[in-house]
Amino acid sequence: MSAPNCLRCLLQLRPSVAVPRYVASRSTAAASAIPIASAWTAPFSTTTARDAKKKDKSGGGTHIRAGKKIKLGKFKKNTTADRGKAPAPGERKAYRKKILLSNNNALPVPGLADLSAEDMLNPKNAATVLSIPDAVVDQLRASEAFKPTQCWGVFRKPSVLLRSETIDLMTRMKGAAKQKQTLRLVVTGDRITGKSMLLLQAMTHAFLNDWIVVNIPEGQELTTACTEYAAIPGSDPVRYMQQNYVLKLIQAIRKANEKVFSKLSTVHSHPELPQHIPVGSPLMQLANSAKEADNAWMIFQALWQELTARGRPPLLFALDGLAHVMKVSDYRSPAFELIHSHDLALVRLFVESLSGAGAFPNGGAILAATSRGNSPRTPTMELALAQREAEQAKDAAADVPQPDPFFRGYDERVQAALRTVQVLKLSGITKLEARVLMEYWAASGILRTTVDETAVSEKWTLGGNGVVGEMERAALLTMRL
Amino acid sequence: MPPRLNLWPTCRALAFRTRPASQWSQTPCIAARAVRGFADTAANKNNNNTTSSQRPNHLNGDASTLPPFMVPPTRQPSTTPEEIEAAGFTSTENEKALSQLQLVTYGLNPFDPAVDGHKYGLPDLPLPSEMHMKHRYDPAIVQFTKLLMQDGKLSKAQRDMAIILNYLRSSPPPKINPARPLMPGSPPASHLPLDPVSYLTLAIDSVAPLIRIRAYKGLAGGGASLDVPMPLAARQRRRTAFQWVLDAVNKKKSKGSGRTMFPHRVAEEIVAVVEGRSSVWDKRHIVHKLGTSARANLNHSALRRRK
Repeated sequence: MSAPNCLRCLLQLRPSVAVPRYVASRSTAAASAIPIASAWTAPFSTTTARDAKKKDKSGGGTHIRAGKKIKLGKFKKNTTADRGKAPAPGERKAYRKKILLSNNNALPVPGLADLSAEDMLNPKNAATVLSIPDAVVDQLRASEAFKPTQCWGVFRKPSVLLRSETIDLMTRMKGAAKQKQTLRLVVTGDRITGKSMLLLQAMTHAFLNDWIVVNIPEGQELTTACTEYAAIPGSDPVRYMQQNYVLKLIQAIRKANEKVFSKLSTVHSHPELPQHIPVGSPLMQLANSAKEADNAWMIFQALWQELTARGRPPLLFALDGLAHVMKVSDYRSPAFELIHSHDLALVRLFVESLSGAGAFPNGGAILAATSRGNSPRTPTMELALAQREAEQAKDAAADVPQPDPFFRGYDERVQAALRTVQVLKLSGITKLEARVLMEYWAASGILRTTVDETAVSEKWTLGGNGVVGEMERAALLTMRL
Repeated sequence: MPPRLNLWPTCRALAFRTRPASQWSQTPCIAARAVRGFADTAANKNNNNTTSSQRPNHLNGDASTLPPFMVPPTRQPSTTPEEIEAAGFTSTENEKALSQLQLVTYGLNPFDPAVDGHKYGLPDLPLPSEMHMKHRYDPAIVQFTKLLMQDGKLSKAQRDMAIILNYLRSSPPPKINPARPLMPGSPPASHLPLDPVSYLTLAIDSVAPLIRIRAYKGLAGGGASLDVPMPLAARQRRRTAFQWVLDAVNKKKSKGSGRTMFPHRVAEEIVAVVEGRSSVWDKRHIVHKLGTSARANLNHSALRRRK
């Protein structure tokens, strides 16, 4: 029965010999079927093609066989589905840090007034909720005073509760500015008692009264070695500048204080700057000249010199997360030794102002807030703040805490920086303030219960005797709405 | 047929009038008035007489004024301290006992706990269900939270659920697609964001399937399985729908990082369900269609034999 196959072979053989070579090689099926045609491939070689045996790649003899290959996970299905484009670098963080300041679903609260310049000084305004004017909201946003963990996005409009501590702090700030003195104060207290919120209120007050505001939103950004640094040439002992951070800071200062800066002009000549800025040119020009990180520190120094010249408006310098700048930083010197935070030039500027060495000639305030959620352990700072608090207590006979004689981790530089600061300790709000706050929540349509004494007392108690953040958790961030 | 003899119509003619309720004003509590307490003196007896003559207004018909039991008895000492000194009793217990007796003369129970001794009064009974610690959340929300939970971390799931609800109430009102109707009787879209619990429940209830397909292995003959639709209970329907939502969420790409990442994705899917954009609707549609075609199998002979 093999005759037809043979016949077919013979029949196919003839035309393949006759046809030109390119046709035969194109039809691969024919080539594989006919060994004669495929042997025809090297026309310019005079030697016959040798069918050399391919050598084993292992180089050894052929008797060595590859072992049984185990394919791992052959029963696993490939479940990774294609999910489109990955988010760009920084996009995910931006989403995490996004700050929403208004919720159009929340009801507008009738009778909610905007803050004015004097509102935070009037003791009659204690325990009231007032909203922040839109212009100030933009300024606060530019200086990064709002934090992503705060509950702004639930309400119609950013509003703040004026507590008795607020009135107290603003009165102190006003008094210091009036006497051209600097209020040096550290806000401390338990977790989520409103320390950052008090800083925000201080900034609001400063913006409303046309102060100049410089805000460092997170102390940790300066000391956790996440931004570039370089030694300042010619400094002895060596100080370090953080050019990229400072550039960002200058831009934030310029954007937040545009209203004040537009009225001011320079009083010093700054020959060291690459750009020529003559005396009497607008201050915005100096602030705008910071375009690159290279000369940002120089421009910041010039700007600081201008801001602290005589006849300027009062200055508010604020920093949140004090513990991070009161420790040895994560940066390394060229000798690979850890750099103390106070050797970083920007931190040094803040700390010197806080310790009283560099007072502001036009008066103002320098405020720092501690953080409890995110703070490294700094025994010196904790001790110093406890000591200052005991010293400033009403009864002077109170026991001032003493350093532990068997502990050698105390930091003298931190001790010196905090020797004369004032301390404002925050704790829970009163029931009256709680009631006002809850009435605001209820009027916004966010809290859906009757605000009576029982409800206020319940939330106040659940919130650890009026810790504001805990009350928010109990009333706003709950499954029971 | 003669009418049945009935006495009742005659009874109607009789005038039944209830005796007027015996009010204490007509029969003052003699026991309280006349009986002298152990510590009573003549002065005190006098005092008792004056109080009964100055009866409170609400018992004379004017209910708007404050009844005397609302006023703490200690604030209205029955007599001045001098009189008490003269009368010969100074203890507060005595005074308390007297005030209780006075309440008895008013026809009130002095030991009623609602009257005294409670700062915020007593709650109305029976207690509403959300006052019970174990039922303080909406039952649907509790079920969804437990479905969100991974590795037994209920607290984290609860925080996620709180973030979902907060997202829903700060997102704009959904644009409802008429091709994907929600549950009948649902509130208008503009009302949903301020009531996030019903927003979430409405979304899940609307996509919840009515049935599931149960496959009887090998009953259709030749080794083929017999698909039969089965009704689902309300809780099962919600569970299925929420798991579909979670499946859709897990297929989505995460945009952000941090603790709001996952709950925000779930919340976006919930909004997509209400707006009719979600793929969960297709799943529901497929199940219902399969059920419609498989309902012929309900009377399948093999199934009847099985029963």
